[in-house]
Amino acid sequence: MSNKKHWKMQLKKQLRWYPFLIISVAALVLFVYIPMGHTISYSLYNVSIVGYGEKFVGLKNYRTLLGQSQFLRSLWNTMALTVMGLLTIPLGFFLAVFINSLGKGKTQSFFRIGFYLPNIITGVSVILMFQAVLQGDGGLLNAFLSFITGREISVRWISDVRYAKLGATILWCWMNTGYSMLVNLASLQSIPSEIYEAAVVDGATPWKKIRYLTIPLMKNCFTFLLVTGVINGLSRFTDLYILGTNSSAGLPGGTLQTILMYIYQFSFEVPNFGISSAGSMILFALVFVFTMINVKMTGFLNDEESN
Amino acid sequence: MTKGKIRRIINITLLAALLLIVLTPVWWAVVLSFDRAATTALPEFSWLPHELSTFNYKAAARLIDLPRYYLNTLFVTAVNTFVSVFFAMMCGFAFAKGKFWGKKFLYVFMLAVMMVPFESRMVPLFIQYRNWGMLNTWFPLILGQFAYVYGIFFARQNIAALPDSLVESVYLDGGGVWRVFFSIILPLSKPVMATLGILQAIAHWNAYLWPLVVIRDSSKQVISVGVALFNAQQDSVYYGPRMAVAVLSAIPLAIMFLFLQKYIVASVAVSGIKQ
Repeated sequence: MSNKKHWKMQLKKQLRWYPFLIISVAALVLFVYIPMGHTISYSLYNVSIVGYGEKFVGLKNYRTLLGQSQFLRSLWNTMALTVMGLLTIPLGFFLAVFINSLGKGKTQSFFRIGFYLPNIITGVSVILMFQAVLQGDGGLLNAFLSFITGREISVRWISDVRYAKLGATILWCWMNTGYSMLVNLASLQSIPSEIYEAAVVDGATPWKKIRYLTIPLMKNCFTFLLVTGVINGLSRFTDLYILGTNSSAGLPGGTLQTILMYIYQFSFEVPNFGISSAGSMILFALVFVFTMINVKMTGFLNDEESN
Repeated sequence: MTKGKIRRIINITLLAALLLIVLTPVWWAVVLSFDRAATTALPEFSWLPHELSTFNYKAAARLIDLPRYYLNTLFVTAVNTFVSVFFAMMCGFAFAKGKFWGKKFLYVFMLAVMMVPFESRMVPLFIQYRNWGMLNTWFPLILGQFAYVYGIFFARQNIAALPDSLVESVYLDGGGVWRVFFSIILPLSKPVMATLGILQAIAHWNAYLWPLVVIRDSSKQVISVGVALFNAQQDSVYYGPRMAVAVLSAIPLAIMFLFLQKYIVASVAVSGIKQ
């Protein structure tokens, strides 16, 4: 009898926790797990618009995609832009080293906030701004380059196929280096100063300190930035879509079409849900692999096991 | 002067020059927005407008309903930020201090979502909302926020660090878990909520792809999409009004940054390093 009562009390004690979770769990089931299941199943069907004659085709959509030059190009574009975008990591690191060497104080926080400022400007404003900055005629970048080289430079950074990726990367770096700098700086400042003091006693030069002490100690920070940079790069969409005047074709001539723009095109412009779902699965697989690398290498979830 | 001092001055000069280069585009955009000479062709670069005028702002006011977009975005951002942070705190509390059957499973069930990029489930989600008749409303923008997975992870870590004795003392007084949550956990978690709130507010203010997909009606649209539509609709490019719109849509976040700069910078840095 008392055993049953004890059990009941235990149950009651446990049950009171579920209301805290129930809404979020329901939201995840409805808006993540079920839709993801649908993505998997659509990718195996020949379905242009859902509800009108789906037909199971197995892996045909994947074969179509991997044999289609447009998709392969969007895959290549995404990879190239992502790798070029990783430039924000060294840029942010060196900025952080310089800012950190100023020592804590007003000057340091001035530069920290100043270099972070681009990240706080509404994304769409930045893109409108850079349409003018990267313009061939009268653009700011060309004016600046002409000024420092003393020669007339008029590169069309967005509309010239040869330079479009570079132009897009300049925009990306301008938008994201501030974040990389902040994370690098936070990581730099978590290195205990005794380590440096010992090195100074041993007569290490500033460069040697960076090369042999700082960089190895920052491995986790670099891994984190690398993996999140790759994940963000893989799902790049907004800036290139707006730069191409609200078109997912990836102007000029498709050189700036990313995987996500491809998926968008075949979901909402030329609906073919089978194809776009297979594309989504490929994007998912890429992101999944990099997230797993992140979890493994930075030990992101390690302390979870303790309770 | 010592060697260290000279190095410091060189350092500051270098950083200042670099910062000037980085921020010049912003200044130039503001200059262009006040320049009557900025029409279909870009005027030569100048630090001040060639022909000072508010014409571009008047033109922008005529061409685009910015106040409407402001209000829509402000509303959606406020609701989303509140909902996502509040429910993240609830889940974080249960995972940090609760003892119940299936805890570990539910935690993994939630965190696993971090590996599913939103974009890869966007199309079925769109179809689902279409079938529910919710397209062209704000429901698709809001409903997904009831589970903010990174926030749950972050809240759990921070709440776990609060001493158990605080929680026990409420139990001894005869209080339940809800009282613990509202009278102990939430007041002690203000920094956590501020961090998550700032991250969410910036993200929602900038939301683009999903509103573009689910909202067709211009009067319900959010600012990023509204401005981009305006940008694409113009037959020929008028740089002046365009820059005026860019400046105006950047103002709300800029004001927020002005007042909360220290917290914002700290929040973003914290989100990037392992706690």
